[in-house]
Amino acid sequence: MKALRYLALSLAAVLFLIPFYLVLRNGLATEQEITAQSWTFWPSEIHWENFVALFSNPAVPMVRSMVNSFVVAVLQTVGQLLLCGLAGYGLARIPYRYANVVLYLVIATLMIPAAVTFVPTFVVVSTLGWVSDLRGLVIPGLFSGFTTFLFRQYFLNFPRELEEAARIDGLGHWGTYWRVVVPNSKGFFAALGVIAFVTSWNQFLWPLVIAQDQDSWTVQVALSTFLTAQSIDVVQLFLAAAVSIMPLVVVFVALQRFLVRGVTETGIKD
Amino acid sequence: MKHGRAFWLFVGPFAIGLLVFVYVPIGWSLLLSFFEARNTVTPTEFVGLRNYADMLTDQPFLSSLGTFSVFAAFIVPLTFVLALALALLVNQISFLQGFFRSVFFLPTACSYVVASLVWKLSIFNGVRFGLANTVLGWFGAEPVAWTVSTSPPWYWLVLVTLRLWLQLGFYLILFIAGLQRIPQHLYEAAWIDGAKPGWQTLRYITLPQLRTTSVAVVLLLLIAAYQAFDEFYNVLGTDRGYPPFARPPLIYLYYTALGSGGQDFGHGSAGAVILTLLIAGVTLLQGRVITR
Amino acid sequence: MISRRRLLSLAGASALLAACGSNTGRGGNGQGLKQWYHAYGEPGVQQAVERYAKAYPKIPIDVQWNPGDYDSKLATSLLSDGGPDVFESTLQISSVRANQVVPLDDVFGDAKSDFAESILATHTVDGKVYGVPQAVDMQMLFYRKSLLAQAGVQPPSTVDELIDAARRLTRDGVKGLFAGNDGGGGVLGGPALWSAGLDYVRDHQVGFDDPLAAQAISKLRELYGSGGLLLGAVKDWAEPDAFTQGLVAMQWTGLWAVPAVQKALGDDFGVLPFPKLGSSGSPSVPVGAFGAMVNAKSKRVDEAKEFVRWLWVERTDYQEDFNLSYGFHIPPRKSISAKASKLTTGAAADAVKFVRDNAKASNPPDWTSVMRTAFNDAVSRVVRDGAPADQELRGAAGKVRDELKRLYG
Repeated sequence: MKALRYLALSLAAVLFLIPFYLVLRNGLATEQEITAQSWTFWPSEIHWENFVALFSNPAVPMVRSMVNSFVVAVLQTVGQLLLCGLAGYGLARIPYRYANVVLYLVIATLMIPAAVTFVPTFVVVSTLGWVSDLRGLVIPGLFSGFTTFLFRQYFLNFPRELEEAARIDGLGHWGTYWRVVVPNSKGFFAALGVIAFVTSWNQFLWPLVIAQDQDSWTVQVALSTFLTAQSIDVVQLFLAAAVSIMPLVVVFVALQRFLVRGVTETGIKD
Repeated sequence: MKHGRAFWLFVGPFAIGLLVFVYVPIGWSLLLSFFEARNTVTPTEFVGLRNYADMLTDQPFLSSLGTFSVFAAFIVPLTFVLALALALLVNQISFLQGFFRSVFFLPTACSYVVASLVWKLSIFNGVRFGLANTVLGWFGAEPVAWTVSTSPPWYWLVLVTLRLWLQLGFYLILFIAGLQRIPQHLYEAAWIDGAKPGWQTLRYITLPQLRTTSVAVVLLLLIAAYQAFDEFYNVLGTDRGYPPFARPPLIYLYYTALGSGGQDFGHGSAGAVILTLLIAGVTLLQGRVITR
Repeated sequence: MISRRRLLSLAGASALLAACGSNTGRGGNGQGLKQWYHAYGEPGVQQAVERYAKAYPKIPIDVQWNPGDYDSKLATSLLSDGGPDVFESTLQISSVRANQVVPLDDVFGDAKSDFAESILATHTVDGKVYGVPQAVDMQMLFYRKSLLAQAGVQPPSTVDELIDAARRLTRDGVKGLFAGNDGGGGVLGGPALWSAGLDYVRDHQVGFDDPLAAQAISKLRELYGSGGLLLGAVKDWAEPDAFTQGLVAMQWTGLWAVPAVQKALGDDFGVLPFPKLGSSGSPSVPVGAFGAMVNAKSKRVDEAKEFVRWLWVERTDYQEDFNLSYGFHIPPRKSISAKASKLTTGAAADAVKFVRDNAKASNPPDWTSVMRTAFNDAVSRVVRDGAPADQELRGAAGKVRDELKRLYG
């Protein structure tokens, strides 16, 4: 029985790892090898020079776009945790006549896909003069209804005793939030932070349209350069893909324990 | 009054951003849906409900809703069952548990762009050196043009496996979290009552205890399926536009509003509003049926 | 300006600058004109257009290279105030009706007669020219002489011969024809109509509401069903890789691919127009040109027009370089194409001849995206699903008629 379990899990694990294997294999081979008649499981010789070719390709600023992606993802993660955390707490804990109205407005945004409001959003952002600008890449993505909703659900279940103790010590809502609630919720913040970072890093459509200057490209936009209809450099494409997922894979393997704990604490109970 | 100030201190900054970057565009879209708005977002010709009437009789739009239903009918139960099954398996082992959890969660790190290019160019390309066709070749079968062939519609295999790979890990974690919240004493009590570990405890303890997690998972899966865009766009779209099959609503609306020179924002917005109402209805209904 | 930005980015300092909310380097901050190109596949084009822009003496020009979905990106940007001043595109009547582009007739001056009329026509609506053609692109059929000889197949001169050739050339792991990963519906729909002597739109009327059209499109289905088509290749029809790698004996691609094909195959290839269907039709090649246009929302329309005049009318040396130094294109100006030595021999010379004798506009301004989608959807359903051609085309014709009525009343 136990052996069967491990067998099933191992089989699934192999299937899950195949795409990663393909990205590496294709990125480190030559195009002849990839397109050869018979399957080569691993390049006969690893072509490290592909990295040099990739990073020195003048048409695709890989380094610059990785830096941009990183800056955008960090700012969006921090900004979301700050703004959505505060809002989630306010919605969960501060009694106010119109709190429910605001809550419904937040939930409603979950059902409206971004692609629907894509063009008006672009016009708004462009009116503000934020095209090809870090502000245009970061700020519109900060106001996530989903993150706020998850924070609210979590704070609803936050132990009231801790807050009441703080209240007795003379702290108001603001002091309670920063001195008691946040320090006791690190795991949850970490979990949502990872999700926010990944989402931001993997964004495609918005940066494609808003980051027009080559200098403001994010890594996903740079990747799509390889996919443009007229020319595909298959090897560089896969290598670029490998490079683009590397940072996240590292973050994930390091933080996945946190993540499970964080999700366990979410409001996805009652 | 005092609460009002505190409330806005916490919620205000978020609410202002939500207003400017989410609700202004939503209101704008809504407005556009009542206008003749080709190649402009500041239209002048009010047409009332005409765009809505057009969309509700527009064959491609209606068939895109059908596409979404087919896609959802595959992807939602598949992800649900597989995520739950893997979560149960992972949860029952102790050795290497962290490793397996990491492996299944790893794809979440990939973007749809990356996954699409692996699926389209490496696994399911139509020539002999694609992985799927190589495997077929070992059994002596002819190469299949996975993303081209419409009979049988192999592209569904491509699209469904892609999304399954990308999203399974996230729901797996949700299920593991749910499983870990089930109090151990429930199982112990059941064993004392003579229930066998396995199917019986799964049926009478685990599944009922996972109910809220399950509702959340189905809801999130449905919303995600109806917002499907990236992998369809990257796998099936070409520089010649998008084929007339496997065209989910967002893809169709995207091409209506933004496709090379299309820019018909009146119809595009009307379609979006119809879609939003539809998903809101389904969501409410689903929530009610399952939680009953 | 560019070198300073490069320097900053090397130091990694620009990220910090950007983080402080400064503008991430729109060169010259509103002093330069913004000019957009889509991402050309041939190496060197980006450097070339940047070189041209740098040479402009009057004002700084900020060239922007746009990978990915250029059409959507351009469409979105033209709606806002943040769009480019000068951009390349094909002309659609809808942009003219929405006042998104400005007429450029005065930009041409005396040189107007030097531009090929058929190309100029694709940038003209209601008698006004809105784009200065930059480079003429054309598509045609490439075939491998040796493979045809081995199989005893003659270069096809009718559609039936093409289907027959695709079938007979499919052997030993080589497919007969590659015409796009969608099975040819996308690129061959137009040529199929022309092969029967029909067209997309003619004199503001639907051009394919005709039983012959159904017959022509059904031929594409026959081709698809012949088993002779390569499907699902890594690179699509616009690149010659399937052909040069020996995966196929024939491929539909463009003149731009000639240098790459020559390099790989030497003399072992020939080119053909899409053949005629029968006695009433004629062979055809799709021809189109990106033109430089000026955004009507630009705050400096006159300066933008002056730049376009300088770059694409005055600097004939740049037109020559742009057309001939990277991939092969035909210079839109007759005086330049006449003296282009690269276009006087071999496949390129044949291509020039096809353009002279068999050219059809691949993107006429009154063939709007709504019409194109309706038509392409119909063709795709016929080709891939085997839907009845007459019924599908009738449906598409209805939509095209509605759209024409909306445009012309």
